Amino acid sequence: MEMLKNMEDVLQQGSEVAVRENVEKALQAGIPAERILNEGLIAGMSVVGKLFKEGEIYIPEVLIAAKNMHAGMDILKPYLAKAGVKPIGKILLVTVKGDLHDIGKNIVGMLLVGAGFEVLDLGIDVPREKIAEAVREHEPDILGLSALLTSTMIEMEAVIKSLKIVKLKKIPKVLIGGAPVTQKFADDIGADGYAPDGVEATLKAKELLEIS
Amino acid sequence: MDPKPNFERVRKALTLQQPDRVPLAEVLISDQIKSKFLGREVRDGDMQAQVEFWAKAGYDFIPVVVGMLGPGRVTDAAKIYSIITHSLFEDAERTKGWAAEGKGIITTMEEFEKFPWTSADQLDYSKFDEVQKYLPEDMKIIAVSGKIFTITWILMGFETFCMSFIQNEGLIRNLFEKVGTIQFEAFKKVIGKPNVGAVWIVDDVAYDAGLMVSPKYLRTYLFPWYSRMAKLCKEKRIPFIFHSDGDLWKIMDDIVGIGANAVHPIEPKAMDINEVKKKYGDKLAILGNIDVDKLTRGSKEEVIVEVKKRIKEIGQGGGYCIGSSNSIPEWMNYDNYVTMIQSALKFGNYPIAID
Repeated sequence: MEMLKNMEDVLQQGSEVAVRENVEKALQAGIPAERILNEGLIAGMSVVGKLFKEGEIYIPEVLIAAKNMHAGMDILKPYLAKAGVKPIGKILLVTVKGDLHDIGKNIVGMLLVGAGFEVLDLGIDVPREKIAEAVREHEPDILGLSALLTSTMIEMEAVIKSLKIVKLKKIPKVLIGGAPVTQKFADDIGADGYAPDGVEATLKAKELLEIS
Repeated sequence: MDPKPNFERVRKALTLQQPDRVPLAEVLISDQIKSKFLGREVRDGDMQAQVEFWAKAGYDFIPVVVGMLGPGRVTDAAKIYSIITHSLFEDAERTKGWAAEGKGIITTMEEFEKFPWTSADQLDYSKFDEVQKYLPEDMKIIAVSGKIFTITWILMGFETFCMSFIQNEGLIRNLFEKVGTIQFEAFKKVIGKPNVGAVWIVDDVAYDAGLMVSPKYLRTYLFPWYSRMAKLCKEKRIPFIFHSDGDLWKIMDDIVGIGANAVHPIEPKAMDINEVKKKYGDKLAILGNIDVDKLTRGSKEEVIVEVKKRIKEIGQGGGYCIGSSNSIPEWMNYDNYVTMIQSALKFGNYPIAID
């Protein structure tokens, strides 16, 4: 459908106003909200993610597209809720204690929303007790941990251990990332997955939840 | 071991020649590490203790920062310091100096016009004069500058900075012009000072997966400044080192093109140093690359193996200075840091004889 296919261009090159107008036009044309979401916004963000991964576009273009997508999502939310459309999964994102960096986590969060996930961001410098409490409260499918320094990524192991100690009804999969983090480190500390960038994070998140 | 500083070995390595041994090089070492090494407190302003550390640890130079922002932290010297810390950091905990990645203080043209800009005249150059008293013979200063890209995004907040390339490029242009001018004028003031043997430009434009922004923006707004700095260095016959973390493959030709003599640190997760040596070893000297993660969480044996490997594979024929893949922070394993420098001094003599 041409109207939805154009969404990809509007996400990248347009403004929040333009995206909102496109979404509203699509709704007025009788296209179901779920189709607009999946075939318009999410499909468009998937192209953005691919271009980012391939080095064709950079952080500014991804941020613009993500902000545009959020603007479109704000219009769709009540329609999606009415139609009973749910996110494909819930992810809790955190920068671990001692670390104040969050731009990488924020970009990952934007791409995860763009892929259809519900994302809760607990912020930066978060102690393991608070993470455990948030996991108990929100019952995410995935806990995403971020750190930018070798000294702070060590905290990730402590977070994983603390999840095993507290009584949780639902233990999330743990996905880790950040500049010093590697697959080997993820394996060593018992994380369920590692992603080197935002695009890989969306793919890994889907893989962990067995979503195609 | 009692290494004697001799900057000539660094100069030779930076100009793709083979000195007597592979020189040690770091742009930033935590004062806590220095204090532990000397067995007494080493403070930032104590130039005597600072020189003593750098000389005794085996370095041939002392890095001294010029400009509005030191590597890793805001310099006390800049009057802009109080504005940045009070405006950007909400509580005392955050005065470690890590950048505020979202919130910025210059997000509009109006805020740019109203900002109390410092000038190069207001910055403090006293360390360059103070250090002269303590420099041993043959030891020199490396002036650490740059940070034009970094200061610009710190002032704007990283998200605003990024989005402004597309939505408000005029503001980007103004900020790069203003910040670049201040840093360049400060740079000019120190480059002619006695005993400045090289310049080390520090400006992170990339992360492990790639550049933060399109190279076209770096070529338009950033590299012209560094090209001017490199030109001045060439006139003074002093080497110019370019530092950025991350994957720099897309701008390696630019780094050569601006006139850099050397590149640092070749982050192991982002770039293969052997590939860098193969493709650019005839144009650029290389510094760094001993993995910070290994230095922090690895064993002494692993550090020795890595040092020997780097000396053998990258140090052959000169053109290499050995050091960490970023800097030496306070949380690094001290014993591993000492193992790195001692191994480099032990195995780095030319001709290289490592099996």
